[in-house]
Amino acid sequence: MSGLELVDLRVDRGSFHLGPVRCEVSAGSATVLLGPSGAGKTTLLRAIAGFLPLVGGSVLLDGGAVDSLPVERRRFGFVPPNLGLFPQRRVRDNVRYPLALSGATDAAGKAAAWIERFGLTELADRYPHELSSGQRQRVAMARALAADPRALLWDEPLAALDVESRDVLVRMLRDLLETERLPLLLVTHDPTTAFALASRVVVLDAGTVRHDCTPETLARGPLDRFVARFLGYENLYSAHELAEAQGASLAPQLVSAAGPGGLVVPPEAIVWRSDPAGPHAARVAALRWTAAGWVVALRHGSLTFHVATPGVAPGVRIGDRVGIDLVAAELKPLIGVPANGGP
Amino acid sequence: MHRTAIAARALAAVLSASLVGLFVLPVVALFFYAGGSGLAFAAGDSGFRTALEFTLLASGMAVGLGLLTGVPLGYVLARYRFPGRAVLESVVTIPIVIPHLVVGIGLLLLFAPNSPVGRFTAALGIPIFDAVWGVVLVMLYVGASYIVLTSQLAFRSVDEEVIEAARSLGAGPGEVFATVTLPAAARGILTGALLMWARGVSEVGGFLILAYAVYPTTPWNGPVTNAASVWIYNYWGIDPTAAVGASALLVLVALAIFLAVRLLDRSGFAWARGGFFS
Repeated sequence: MSGLELVDLRVDRGSFHLGPVRCEVSAGSATVLLGPSGAGKTTLLRAIAGFLPLVGGSVLLDGGAVDSLPVERRRFGFVPPNLGLFPQRRVRDNVRYPLALSGATDAAGKAAAWIERFGLTELADRYPHELSSGQRQRVAMARALAADPRALLWDEPLAALDVESRDVLVRMLRDLLETERLPLLLVTHDPTTAFALASRVVVLDAGTVRHDCTPETLARGPLDRFVARFLGYENLYSAHELAEAQGASLAPQLVSAAGPGGLVVPPEAIVWRSDPAGPHAARVAALRWTAAGWVVALRHGSLTFHVATPGVAPGVRIGDRVGIDLVAAELKPLIGVPANGGP
Repeated sequence: MHRTAIAARALAAVLSASLVGLFVLPVVALFFYAGGSGLAFAAGDSGFRTALEFTLLASGMAVGLGLLTGVPLGYVLARYRFPGRAVLESVVTIPIVIPHLVVGIGLLLLFAPNSPVGRFTAALGIPIFDAVWGVVLVMLYVGASYIVLTSQLAFRSVDEEVIEAARSLGAGPGEVFATVTLPAAARGILTGALLMWARGVSEVGGFLILAYAVYPTTPWNGPVTNAASVWIYNYWGIDPTAAVGASALLVLVALAIFLAVRLLDRSGFAWARGGFFS
């Protein structure tokens, strides 16, 4: 295939075992690696780049194995979490570095073209410490692309950026995917980035691939606890938590709806009214304002439900008693995660 | 401000000022007693000028050898984990804790003209006893630790991600070292070199034992002389005024070199900033 292919890739780091990982990133598309801290995302990226030895499997680029090549000959545009910019070199020298290494003719001119493409011309004489986070990200991208890579590996490229900078970079990345037709494998914790960029999502947990699917399938398919958290669901309950719930008249209904991994109660599964009359009641425990509107925390026995009220004031105060009910069809049971992994 | 806090600050200021005074006042006294005439006398004395030239030559050689051997050792200690690394780190600090007169005795026992090692080095054309190489050896022994330690610290502070980024951009290990690691560590190494040089120039004890008088041997082809510090030590008993003038001149030369290196550093080493591609 044209692009990056991981074939049953396995890496050992002491007692941590990663893999086997099998996935494909076709040219011009992005695959996002998701997973909790310690899942093996960075280990996988560094192994593909050649910084860690494989104990099994293979890395293919455009159909050819590259795992026997040293790092410098694999031609991956690898960008580490803190970008790895050369602190003592100006922006122009950072971008010129790979061109000078390869002995490219008119390295300065080519570097200037990349610098211009990423809107860095005005900043070309600055040092990395004189740039903002977003500007540094752009320098890292320009430098990685100046090396004429065959695939891009980016570890948290958009971490620690404000929303505006992140949006700018996401647009740049999408443009790059279209124009450069390179495969992009990136690690991110940010669902917005993942869904804006990725054509596929690979979820790693404890070194094992849990999901390898489209973002849409991930969002619609059976959820596990990690994916539910990643998608931003707040009302997550383990089966044990529901079984042990105190003073919650809705608990039996929730227990019966729960899966082996517990239950997600999406905001749309909760119907509440300011009149506390009815079979089930809750108390307003907290109110907070978010960009999407008010979020009301309803305390129902030992359980707390967070409910969004987009666009309208909630009309209640902390301590008020309210009536509450569930829409059973909207409840999302969580699948369990096998102890030894397995996709 | 609380009265106790004021008292604590005042005490800290007095204690700090005492130490700073201790650092500065002897130098002030030296220049005060030497005066312009003492400096002029020392500068005009051919014996001291020869000793000073010899000391600058020997210290330059010693720093060169210190960089050649100390930087790789600092790099190994910073970058690699291996059995015995902690022992090696302790060995590097030995010269700092051993009295330097004892260093001279140890080196003399090892390199005495009639010892196997002394005979071997002499056969190679590198006599140690009472020769420029003896002075260089003492300077290397008492000062190279500073280069190793500062290099180690400098190499350790080079971000691993920067090195990995360079590799992925197409640089082999040697190119990464030359274009990224070494330039990034250059300031630390320079500081170590400066400390080693200053330590070597101020050495006396080791010279008194191993190379009290220096006889012409390549690369020192001048007259019989001493290291500048030994010359001053000798004259202190014969002509204290000359010794004070020479001491002041030696301090001036040392300060000038220190200042020149610092200015060069502040103005920015182009190579250190941009590596080979600037």
